[in-house]
Amino acid sequence: YRGEEEIQKECALFPSAAVGETQSSVSAAEDLQTYSEREWKGNTTKSLLIRKGYEAIASEFNLRKVRGDNYCALRAVLFQVLSQSKQLPAWLHDSDISKWPKEMHSDQDFITEWQFPFETSKSKVQHLEQCLELLTNKWQEAVQSKSLEERERMCQQVFRGHDEEYELLEALKFLMLRTAVQLHSDMEKGSDVPEFCWLLFARDSSKCPKTFLTNHLRHVGFSGGLEQVEMCLLGYSLQETIRVVRLYKCDTEEFITYYPNDHKNASPLCLLTEDDRHYNVLVPKKFPKFDAYGRPKWNPPSDGQSSITTRL
Amino acid sequence: MSFIPGHPVTAVVQRIEIHKLRDGDNLILGFSIGGGIDQDPSQNPFSEDKTDKGIYVTRVSKGGPAEVAGLRMGDKIMQVNGWDMTMVTHDQARKKLTKKNEDVVRLLVTRKSLENAVRQSMMQH
Repeated sequence: YRGEEEIQKECALFPSAAVGETQSSVSAAEDLQTYSEREWKGNTTKSLLIRKGYEAIASEFNLRKVRGDNYCALRAVLFQVLSQSKQLPAWLHDSDISKWPKEMHSDQDFITEWQFPFETSKSKVQHLEQCLELLTNKWQEAVQSKSLEERERMCQQVFRGHDEEYELLEALKFLMLRTAVQLHSDMEKGSDVPEFCWLLFARDSSKCPKTFLTNHLRHVGFSGGLEQVEMCLLGYSLQETIRVVRLYKCDTEEFITYYPNDHKNASPLCLLTEDDRHYNVLVPKKFPKFDAYGRPKWNPPSDGQSSITTRL
Repeated sequence: MSFIPGHPVTAVVQRIEIHKLRDGDNLILGFSIGGGIDQDPSQNPFSEDKTDKGIYVTRVSKGGPAEVAGLRMGDKIMQVNGWDMTMVTHDQARKKLTKKNEDVVRLLVTRKSLENAVRQSMMQH
């Protein structure tokens, strides 16, 4: 978690500019309360509700706006992963994921259906291999950053709207497909699967991984974004929990929704949406300092004054 | 729960009633405290203001009387059975909480958390 001074320093390094005016796909951090009052003037029922939602979280988080194309959910998650991840996840550490496209291709004929947002002279399988290798390298680079500034610089380099950013986003989509294939196979065998799988494959348009790909996944970033059940798949594929503050659901149980919601990670990736269509990133504002085990960090004593705790 | 005017929107006041657990001769509350006007406030990870010399809950035993009553780590104790706890020494605080003839202590605490902000936003109409 970063303290307020670090966030302010960050704002100075990267002056706030509306996403779209610069090349940056993720803007610098800004105050939520200020943003809310500026963007939602007026007193319609909707404005009041959305502002109320912003106010509820404004003292805990700052906002970083994400480029608003159909990749925004993936982009927001990728940004949180690269900027907040403390270590390489086990599934990435234990396997060479760049081998996975070839493995999938030899099993079933999915990858011919893949759509890329850029030109490529390679075969689709080869290009996906490249995307996954890039994801591994960037994730590694992120967790090995020696300072907040270095990490932020690295993220700014990635999120410039160039091919590299889209290769990483396509890598995330591939991971979702691979997970969908595994989960569907588990379902057919009668093994235990997370609840969202039933919803994922209950849709008429995606009864199996093939149609999930051709009717849904390969259009993500082009003509559509991620549905909520697909947000669960994304979280599950990365072995992360995505926590979304959904402002239009303020005053309901769904104001804060976890994707997936069956087992919650200690450090979820925090996003914000006003409408379940566009996603922005939330960065913590101020927090007590905790170590990796969730125990509070105590500073060493100063001036010889005591600092005792008593058990009652 | 009630709101403190002038405080940031996520500070809520909570009334906690702890029924002490008798263990032989001892009365157990199941939590630990830190802080006091004679203590070093800069060490407190829970306070916003690092000069805050108030009494804070540093630990809550799982399944103990305090947890059952709803006390949480990070809570700042404002009052115990009506006695002010914002300007007391560590030992004075301990004494107010561990009176042998009192089986129940009623605490007034303040708490700052996202979950409370959510609950707050849902209650405000």
